[in-house]
Amino acid sequence: MSLLNPLFLLGLAAVAAPILVHLVRRTRAPRVEFPTLMFVRRVPQRTIRRKRLHNLLLLLMRCLALLLVVMAFARPYFSRGEQAAGGGDRANVVLIDDSFSMAYGQRFEQAKARARALIGEMRGGERTALVRFGQGYEVLTRFTPETGRLTALVDGLRPGLGATDYVQALRGAERLFEEAGPGERRVFLISDFQAAGRNPAEAAFRLSKEVKLVTVDVGEGPAPNLAVTEVAAQPTIYQQKYADKLTARVTNFSDEAREAVRVEFQINEHVVEKREMRLGPQDSQVIDFTGFNLSEGDNRCFVQVSGDDFALDNRFHFTLRRAAQLKALAIEAASRGRSESFYLRNALTTGENLPFALTVKTAGSVNPAELAEYRVVILNDPGEVSAALSGQLAKFVEQGGGLVIAAGPHTQAESFNQSFPALSPAALGEAVQLRGDHVALSEIKTDHPIFEVFRQSGRLASARVFGYHRSTPREGASVLARFEDGSPALVESATGGGKVLLYTSTLDAGWNDLPLTPIYLPLIRQMARYLGEREELAWHPLGQAFTVPVAKDGAPPAVDAPSGERLTERQQTATGELIVNAREPGFYRLRYPDRSQFAAVNLEARESDLRRLDVNEFVAAVTGADPKAAAGAAPDPKLLPEEVESRQRVWWGLLLAALALFVAEAFLARRTKSAKVIG
Amino acid sequence: MWRKEKAEAGRQAVPAGPAAQSSSALPRFLAPEILARISSLELLARAVVEGFISGLHRSPYTGFSTEFAEYRQYLPGDDLRHLDWRLLGRTDRYFIKKYRADTNAQCHILVDASASMRYSTGAVTKLQYAQFLASSLAYLANLQQDAVGLIAFDERVRTHVPAHSRSGHMRAIFGRMEQLEPGSETRLAKVLHDAAERITRRGIVILISDMYDDPEEVLKSLQHLRFKGNDLIVFHVLDRNELEFEFSEPVLLEDIETEEQMHVLPDLLAEGYRATIGAHIERLRDGAAANRIDYELLTTDRPLDYALFSFLAKRARR
Repeated sequence: MSLLNPLFLLGLAAVAAPILVHLVRRTRAPRVEFPTLMFVRRVPQRTIRRKRLHNLLLLLMRCLALLLVVMAFARPYFSRGEQAAGGGDRANVVLIDDSFSMAYGQRFEQAKARARALIGEMRGGERTALVRFGQGYEVLTRFTPETGRLTALVDGLRPGLGATDYVQALRGAERLFEEAGPGERRVFLISDFQAAGRNPAEAAFRLSKEVKLVTVDVGEGPAPNLAVTEVAAQPTIYQQKYADKLTARVTNFSDEAREAVRVEFQINEHVVEKREMRLGPQDSQVIDFTGFNLSEGDNRCFVQVSGDDFALDNRFHFTLRRAAQLKALAIEAASRGRSESFYLRNALTTGENLPFALTVKTAGSVNPAELAEYRVVILNDPGEVSAALSGQLAKFVEQGGGLVIAAGPHTQAESFNQSFPALSPAALGEAVQLRGDHVALSEIKTDHPIFEVFRQSGRLASARVFGYHRSTPREGASVLARFEDGSPALVESATGGGKVLLYTSTLDAGWNDLPLTPIYLPLIRQMARYLGEREELAWHPLGQAFTVPVAKDGAPPAVDAPSGERLTERQQTATGELIVNAREPGFYRLRYPDRSQFAAVNLEARESDLRRLDVNEFVAAVTGADPKAAAGAAPDPKLLPEEVESRQRVWWGLLLAALALFVAEAFLARRTKSAKVIG
Repeated sequence: MWRKEKAEAGRQAVPAGPAAQSSSALPRFLAPEILARISSLELLARAVVEGFISGLHRSPYTGFSTEFAEYRQYLPGDDLRHLDWRLLGRTDRYFIKKYRADTNAQCHILVDASASMRYSTGAVTKLQYAQFLASSLAYLANLQQDAVGLIAFDERVRTHVPAHSRSGHMRAIFGRMEQLEPGSETRLAKVLHDAAERITRRGIVILISDMYDDPEEVLKSLQHLRFKGNDLIVFHVLDRNELEFEFSEPVLLEDIETEEQMHVLPDLLAEGYRATIGAHIERLRDGAAANRIDYELLTTDRPLDYALFSFLAKRARR
């Protein structure tokens, strides 16, 4: 039991009054001589006893009535631990939000204090599991009745750096309850209740009906915050000057305008540019930087905003890599007139900051030994290929090279299948010529990196195809797109460290009008990048894993975390790349024998938005309760609505009981006249 | 604690005969608290009795003693010995000459001097009141030419002055009476049996006591006296608080005789106590009536005249 106004307990001294009167009067009972006690002794003792009992009853009633009045004013309420008798079949899950927003002010310390208080209120065999959560959750202890252990675990908690996901934490709690057995189940959610922590995609989530949700809000009060929430940059460039626009978004998350907010852009710890800006309430502005020079290799960059107390999200890290262009080789059939790689060349060599340097050769002029110089080879309907070339191509792909095969009118299915029995993702069949008719691309896998950029446009289906090869995908190959008749259009397979794409039509306008459509250029570039260029990102969000390429000798690099700690995890992908879990914001240093590379990691920007959820609405949403009922619980976030009501009843009940006792006491006192008390 | 105003109120409720009315109508009777100021019991007795007698000139309590009292007309059947022949000779009228009663009876006064008799909530203790009463009765009896004896007792007979009518005897009576001090416990029945054996000649036996003994045993002992031919007058002397049990707060009662102590809630106990002592009194009263014993309950705040009336009434019957 806890008290809202414990100071009123001083009034308990009043309870002592009747007892003191009793004691004082008892000690003062004077000795009086009387002629004989023979008649006193003869008075029926039963009567005296009954009357004495009456008096004792009166004394007790008075004391109890005073006690009840005092207790009523002290506003007692019973914790949930006490309200249920025993508590042995009750299981609790305490969810403590340790996202980085909890590091704001004293929130996390408050959360720990509330958790300790909750644990302290637990009774008897009540079992409690402790879980900390952010984007994910970690079960610190499964159900245990040991409050000492639970408190020690709470004491050891530190705020994390992740974002918040309430629904995932609640799901975790529900999963934990599966091992709790039958009985009452309660979830205590201790958080600052950021609006960003509620995933709208999980709006349909509901807690089980037998699970009670109790929210403990430690995020009350204003929480101004400035943050750099986003940087958009071209992560890799192939020339000294960064000609593109690098944009950074700076957001003011407070309800007050911020004047003269200073923003600084640094590369390799050198200030490149400083800006000053004004941000209105809940305002967000984008500033751009361009025309700066980059050193070769990885450049550590950040945009930083200053003038904010909550510094965790003030700096946004990213890397910009200045790399040499990747070499690509297009092999075509020897023919008169315009090269069949005309469209291909234009697609890959037009514009600035080009990642590829394209060389076009005929099949006969290619020296198989030179393939190793290239990153990507495009067999643009080359006709018959020599065994040496096909063998070198197989080796090239095995070593990690990317190969695109376009099968057009020069490609004979039979010889093709003989030349590339294992390398080609599909065995070619007959050539189909649609005279006066055409088919379009369909069944396009838009989740594939090549087609990802076309996901929204839908223009891929606008290309008309008049001729193609039928094909049969080999085992392990995947069809990325088909023609309308179901015949594979683009098939992919992986061999060794490299990848092969088979396009069953032409890359020029011979069998289709794709090169004449606006999608041709991006499609070709996407294919070349997919095969030849490592997908690099300027930064990684914290909490996710990223992969690091191995060195030339095949050994993964040593990785130093931003704190300087050497990572010991050596988990690798199937292709040997090292997997690094992003756990700290800043720059991870990848130490190769001949160089260092960097990977930037940033906090989740949404966590910087400290605007709050409507807790009642949230509770109503996840429990399916009436939002109005949940709103009634607002004054004390520790309690469920019915428990707040229950507490009120205790208050009134005590007062009514005291009143009833006073009435009964008056009635009894009147019956026994003025009762005197002696021992 | 005794509360005077309560006592005044309670006085109205005390069983009272004509004396109760007399006490207010005849202020010449001295209140006990005034009597308490008189140091000599003889003086006190004289004051009481003479004051009492002065109001009795029309009293019917006359007898045929040697002392002339009055005349009355002869009525057929009257003893001719009492005819005043001299008057008949002078006036030729028949008158009977009336005298004071002249029977020389024995009067034994038994005074309880046990420890319980020292109890008092007013001006006088029960023992003092008993002394006043006994002295006055002795004086009055002496005036009647009776032989007066005194027995004072507690658990045994402590003082015994045999009855005599000679001059100077009263001085011995008063002297012994003045020396009485509260003694030890009461053994009333036993002492009365003892007294019955000591009183050899029948007469009037006046018992002045608070009667704290088993009523059945007491009545048996009274019967003992009665069977010996004595006329008995019992003056049951109690303090008013013994009847009413008025205490304003819880008290630790200590038995005067046994020193036994008892915490008492007066409010809880008074009712039961009054009922118990009432039953005790009623038993004594009924037992006395059954044995033709005069029984009078007196409280120490009442004048003595009522007791004297009772005595004279009893004396007249002898």
